[in-house]
This record gives sequence, structure tokens and C-alpha cells, in this order.
Amino acid sequence: MSASVRAVGAALPRVDADPKVTGAARYTVDVALPRMLHAKVLRSPHAHARVAHIDARTAAVMPGVAAAITRDDFMDLNPTYGYFIKDQPLLAIDKVRYIGDMVAAVAAETEAQAVRALEAIEVRYEPLPAVASIEAALAADAPALFETPAPGVVPAYGTGASGCRDPARNVCYRFCYTTGDPAAFARADHVFADEFRFSRMQHYHLEPFVTLARVEGGQIELWSSCQNPFALRKELARVFRHPEQNIRVHVPFIGAGYGAKNNCKTEPVAVLLAKIACRPVRFCMTQEESFLTQSQHAAILRLETGVSRDGRFIARRSEILLDAGAYSDASPLVAEKAGYRINGPYRWEHIDSRCDCVMTNTTPAGPFRGFGGTQASWASESQVDMIARRLGMDPVALRTKNLLNLGEAYVPGESGIDSDLAAGLDLVCREIGYGREKRKGRGIGVAIGFKDSGGVNKPAEAQVKATTTGGIIVNCGTVELGQGIQTAFTRIVAELFACASERVSYAPINTDVTPFDQGTNASSAIVVMGQALERAARDCIARILDFAAAQLKCCPAELRLENWSVIKDNQPHPLAPLIMRHFGGTGFEFVGRGFFKPETDHHAPLEAKCVSWEIGWGAAEVEVDEETGRVNVLKLVVSGDAGRAISKDVCRGQDEGAAMMGLGQALFETMRYEGPELVNIAAAKYRVPLASDLPETFRAVTQEQGHGPGPFGAKGMGEAGMLPVAAAVANAIEDAVGVRITSLPLSPEKVLDAIEAKRSKS
Amino acid sequence: MTDSIAIALTLNGSALRASVAPELMLADFLRDQCGLTGTKIGCDQATCGACTVLMDGVPAASCATFAWQVDGAAVTTIEGLAANGALDPVQEAFKAKSAFQCGYCTPGMILLAKALLAANPAPDRATIRDWLSANVCRCTGYQMIVEAVEDAARRRREAPR
Repeated sequence: MSASVRAVGAALPRVDADPKVTGAARYTVDVALPRMLHAKVLRSPHAHARVAHIDARTAAVMPGVAAAITRDDFMDLNPTYGYFIKDQPLLAIDKVRYIGDMVAAVAAETEAQAVRALEAIEVRYEPLPAVASIEAALAADAPALFETPAPGVVPAYGTGASGCRDPARNVCYRFCYTTGDPAAFARADHVFADEFRFSRMQHYHLEPFVTLARVEGGQIELWSSCQNPFALRKELARVFRHPEQNIRVHVPFIGAGYGAKNNCKTEPVAVLLAKIACRPVRFCMTQEESFLTQSQHAAILRLETGVSRDGRFIARRSEILLDAGAYSDASPLVAEKAGYRINGPYRWEHIDSRCDCVMTNTTPAGPFRGFGGTQASWASESQVDMIARRLGMDPVALRTKNLLNLGEAYVPGESGIDSDLAAGLDLVCREIGYGREKRKGRGIGVAIGFKDSGGVNKPAEAQVKATTTGGIIVNCGTVELGQGIQTAFTRIVAELFACASERVSYAPINTDVTPFDQGTNASSAIVVMGQALERAARDCIARILDFAAAQLKCCPAELRLENWSVIKDNQPHPLAPLIMRHFGGTGFEFVGRGFFKPETDHHAPLEAKCVSWEIGWGAAEVEVDEETGRVNVLKLVVSGDAGRAISKDVCRGQDEGAAMMGLGQALFETMRYEGPELVNIAAAKYRVPLASDLPETFRAVTQEQGHGPGPFGAKGMGEAGMLPVAAAVANAIEDAVGVRITSLPLSPEKVLDAIEAKRSKS
Repeated sequence: MTDSIAIALTLNGSALRASVAPELMLADFLRDQCGLTGTKIGCDQATCGACTVLMDGVPAASCATFAWQVDGAAVTTIEGLAANGALDPVQEAFKAKSAFQCGYCTPGMILLAKALLAANPAPDRATIRDWLSANVCRCTGYQMIVEAVEDAARRRREAPR
């Protein structure tokens, strides 16, 4: 490869292509150890009950059983875990709080023996009244899920933002953000109050939650399908009161997560069983169990928006209620993000947002692609269209009038928006054919999904090492979930080393040797770890050039690197002979390190300026059958801004995959609860988008606006495509048939009801 | 537990005799007994299609097929597609078109596509969408997989195997 052929942006296969198309790719489900046992857990049939009595002694002596554990087996540990609030027990202690809550666990020679042993565990429950919805949980006479507050912390916030624990019964966390003068509402010509409902999806990652754990000689070692192995290691150290240096987490390929695979899921139970059984334990949940482990947040969003008569946005007051489910998990963080993102990419004089995490007796909700931004974009972008129609304005013109400019701070103290919002809006309008003559029963809607990206104040460290013969190994904690980060990172490093990307490999993740990373989430890999990685590569290159300069008796500035030669006065000097001449025939490795963390900044609402902003522009054309209420999405256009697309295929795949997930959310996909019971659990009953659901025309356009903070101007874009879809479809439905649906999914029943209500009114 | 059952099958082109428990599923037989972990278990309810293998060329959900049911059959798993180190045209197409992300559904999708092209060497886009709807991919949004199948059809026509 000559230096003129670049790795960044090149049309090359993904680096994980060969293992993934041949079946050689190894996931946690594929890892096995000799004498490995299989774990199964007993789950609560009650939504809310006291556990009056539990006895696993009979189960413990059944054929093949090596360990049977209950609450009696871990009270010497820190028995609960969670992100900020440590409220989720390893297994039920005093109460169960949702149908599916883990009560006891067994490790046996086979899964079948483990299942049989679970049946022998005696549990006596004393049922309690359950709360299955946000409204029920907030009712004056609602039973409390937690009688005493769980241990936990409130993160530090900067200007205008605050968080608090337990502000009301069954509310575990409240996030507030305010800026500007509340008197601004008085200057508004109109204040529009609207309420929106957001239904929850399950992540439906195909690789289940799975861990293989071994506890031997004081060493805890696990292989886990986990997005944030360092956070997991820290939490396991706390729970098991075990030294962190004696906990090793390996993360093989992950069969996707979409947010679900953060923090403790299968890991604590697997480790405890392995510890007690003194044998390796594999705990692989079924897909039904995934539905009982983690979900997206359902939400109620109430917006009061003050605008001038000519359509200038003035002030917005928001109240968001998230259904956190039975345990807090990541809910406080999701609340922070939903509350912070609710105002969209627009300019306001005054903002007053509040977001509560409401505990209900349902599956715990946690991180899900979009992370509060999906809920916020659904409500905000629906209301923007509603306001446009009420003012008699064009919805696109209303947006354009209020959009933040490139580089303009989102709110006071915040970083500038790193995309040209109007350019993206123009693009999707052009692609969808916005403004062309309308056909009966058809309509077009647009929306701009919005979130910050890069996480909050995340540190990341990377290492790049180069071998004698010019093999380059990237060592960092970013996990390959399918998003293509191994491809992106190896190409970035190849570009910097001016070599073929085949020369660069991506080391497996092992927390003993992999440099620290907070977690693969929040679209942070390219903008946070990417910056650390670029520094590591440059550090490694500098060491190589320093060495070569000493050998060639010149100044490093006279040299550059290309195809593992140093170029001096246009003459290449191959590095391998230079290295072996100095270090001996076995050669040497040059190691570079790089670190990145946003600066702590008390003027920024979230205590550090957001690293980047992730925008998903979307437009939909729909046809609505007025007899059945069925919505046919004829054309869907989504566009994210990659800043610079390190791999165009990877970027396109992220936008398309996210958009189809958003389309499922818009039209049909939802976890259906009857009371506290989830009735469409697992694949046979839960509908996800299939290839047959592809809109007739489906376009994902990757923009490369070049303003991202990552290497070569790149920015994160894995979540953006999901954000605008539901609102764009709802907006298109109103354009088509003049009815507004404010709750998801946009089912034929709701659309038909709205059409009939409109008919009976007229 | 009843006695195990003796079966004889052709697995990825090689004759194989095995002894299987009556309740053993094909997916577990392939993964645990044969070490062929390319076959993935997703929903374990014959719905998501991650466990798809070919039985005498026909796609089958190996999570819902008993191991003894393949007695006398030719079974092809993802490990059986590449010949002498060369990828199958469908694998080549998935690689060239980046028609995968996490890769967990990929073995099943590739085998499903392989069966489609055996039945219909030049499927139109609607047929491909319809056929691929047997399996779930949660990552890609399907469009790039559809394009890979079109590309695979072209590759097969140009270099028939």
C-alpha cells in the first residue's frame, strides 16, 4: 500500500468480517472451561411480595447439583448493586419487586438438572399490592417498593443542574435543570401544554446475558458479554469485598447490547455460585429472562412551551416521568439525559426541566440506545410540529427559525453544537421530497433527533504498540458490540502510521492488561477513546522516530514514517534492520500511550462540557388507510453526521440499524403489560422489525460535516438514526389524515380511533 | 433418562456416526458435542433464526430440531461453507457488503441466503426481503443484507460452484 492509499474512508471490508462470516468469531456463549457447571435461577411469580421463608437445602443435594444459593449465602457480602443507587440484591432478600425477580440460584452438571433442582426450592411469599404503572406508583395510597432508602450517591452537577434522591414515594431520583429567567413565559404570545407517552421496548440482543465465572486461588476470573468491564470489575470488587487486582474480566465479541449489557446482570450470581461450588459456572439466561432483566424506559412527558406569534421559541417547562421498573439500574443517568435533552437543538430564553425515575413492579429499565434522548425527541419533535400547525406555520420553517447555529452553545456554559443543523434538515427534506404536491391519504413528516454524545466526563486510556517488523497492536477497552469500532480504530491507527490497515490488530480485552475505559456506551468510543487512541498512536510514532533519528544521526523532525520505514530526504530506511541492529535479533516493541478526559468545568451544567452532539435527522412519507388505521411507511430517510466517516459502510449500517429499531418503536414494537405481568415475553410473542418491514424506499445518508472532536473530525453516530423516527412518522400521519397521535406505538387502533373521533366531530 | 440413540449423518461433507440423548437438540449437539459453535442460539423458540442450519439443503431451526432427527441427513453449518480456504460466494458477499454488525445472526442469515439462491438463483428484491424475514437481525436494519444477497446472486452467476 502506498501512502497515497488511505485507510480512513477506504472501501475495505470490516476487520471482523472473516471471523463473523465463517462462524469462527468467539462470543461469551462459546467459551467453555473443563468441569464447568450450568446455572439457573428461580424467579418470582409475584410482582410484589415479602419473602417470608426460603429453603434450598433439598435442592442442594439433588443429582448433579453443586450449589444452591439463596439470601442466606451472601449476607456477609455487600448484597446489593446498582449504578448510583445500590438497590438491586444479588437474589431477593426481604422482598421480591417484580415478576421475574431472582430469588434463588442453582449450579449443576447440566442445565436440566439445575432446572429440576429449582423446583425443589421452598419459598413462601406474602403477596403485597403491586404498582404496575407510573400513575399507580405515584398514587397517594400506593405501596412503596422500598421502605428504607438504598445506599447511593448523587453525582456532582455544575451550573443550573441538580439531582436528588427519593423526592417522593416510589421516586428514586429526580434530575432538574433550569436556565434563564422564568419571567420569559410572560413574554410568550402562546403557551402550549401537551402530554406525550412513550412505550417501552426490549433490547432484543440475540446473544443472551451470559457469564462464565471461575473463582480459584483467590482469583475471580470471568468472561462476560459486558459493555463496561472496568465498571463491572469495580462493582464486583465492592459486592464481593474482593481486591480489584484479583478480579479479571475478559470480553470476547458481544452479540450486541443496544445498552442492555452494562453493569451487573448475570455476573454476581455466576461468581457467587462459582465461589461456593469451587468450580467454573456458566450462567446463560434465556431470551425470556432477558425480558425479565432489562428494558427501555416507558415515559410520560408533559411539555409547556411558550412561543411568540411569529414562531420564536421562548420558554419551555418540562415534566418527565420515567418508568424505572423495580430497581434503579441506570435510571438516574437516563433521567439526567432525558431532562437535559428535552429542549432539542433549539434556542430558548428559559428552560425548566424536571425528570423523575418512578419505581414500578415491572422489569427494571436501563440504558437503551438513545438513552433518554429517544423519549425526549419523541415528545419535543412531536410538539414542534403541533405548534407549527397551531400557528399556521410550516413545520420545517418553524424548526429552521429556532435551530441553534453551528458552534453555538446548547445552553449557557455548554459546548457548541458541532453539526450544521440546517444543512442536515435541508438534506432530509430534499431526499423525502418535502413540499411537493400532496396526495390524498399520504403525508410527510420530519424530525430532528438530538442528544449529546461522549458520556459525562469520561476518562479513557489507550495503548498502541509496534513490533520489530511493523505489526501494530491496538490495546484499549472499547468493546466490539457490532458497531464496527475495531474497524474504525485499526484504520485510524493505520492512517497515522501511514501503513496498510492489515498491519494493525485489535487486542482482546482483559482488564488486567487493557488500559482503563469507563464503558462502551454513549456514542463515546470515537470521540473519547478515539482521542486517547490518536494520542497513543502519535506517542508511539514519536518514540519510533526518536529511536530512528538516533540511529540515523539526525533530528526526528527530519523523519516521517511510511510502510514501516522512516523516510529521510525521500530515502526509505526500513525499520526492522535498524531495530535489530540496536536491540538484538529478537528485536523490540515500541509502546505509546494516550489519555483523554474532558475538563471538569463547574460552569457546564453536567460538570464538564459535552464532548460532542449527536444529531439524527429523519423524514418519513406515510400512507394511512382511513378504513383500518394502518400506517404504511412508504419512504424513510435518516441521516446522521459522522463528522468524518472512518468507514462509510459501518456508518451507514449504524444509521440504518438504528432507524429500523426506531421504526419498530414507532409502529408496533412494545412490551405489553397486563397489570404487572408482561404478556408478550420473548420471540414468539414479541414483534421486532423483519426484512419485510423495510419501507419500500429506505435511505440512510451519512453526512461528513467535518466538525467532530474525534480523529480526522469524526464523531459518534450509533444512536442518532433511532431518535427522529417515531416523531417523523407521527408528524407524517398528521400531515396525511389530520390526526395527532401522542402515544407510542402508532398502532392502527389508535390511528383509527383518532380518525373516527375527528369524523364524529366534523 | 432413556438410552441414547445412534445416528449417522453427513456433517459439512463428512460422514459422522454419533450417539445422542433423545432430548438433545441439534443446536446443542452441534455446539457442545461437535464443537461447531458457529451455530448460535438466540431465542431458543425457533423464531429468531440465529440457529439456522441446512438439512439436506433446507433451512432448519436447530434449536427446535432434535439431534436424532438428522439421522440420514446431510447437515451444513456455517463452518461447512468455505472450501479449501476460499469463502463461499454468499460469505464473500456478506464480507464485501459489510452485511453484518454484531455477527450473531450472520451464520443463520448466510445459510438462509444460501438456501434461497439454491432455490432461486436470481431472486428479485421483494423475494429476498420475504425470504430473509424468516430470521431476525437486530443490528443492521436488513438493507445491507438484502444488498449482499443480490451481490451473492451475481457472484454465483459469474463463478458457479
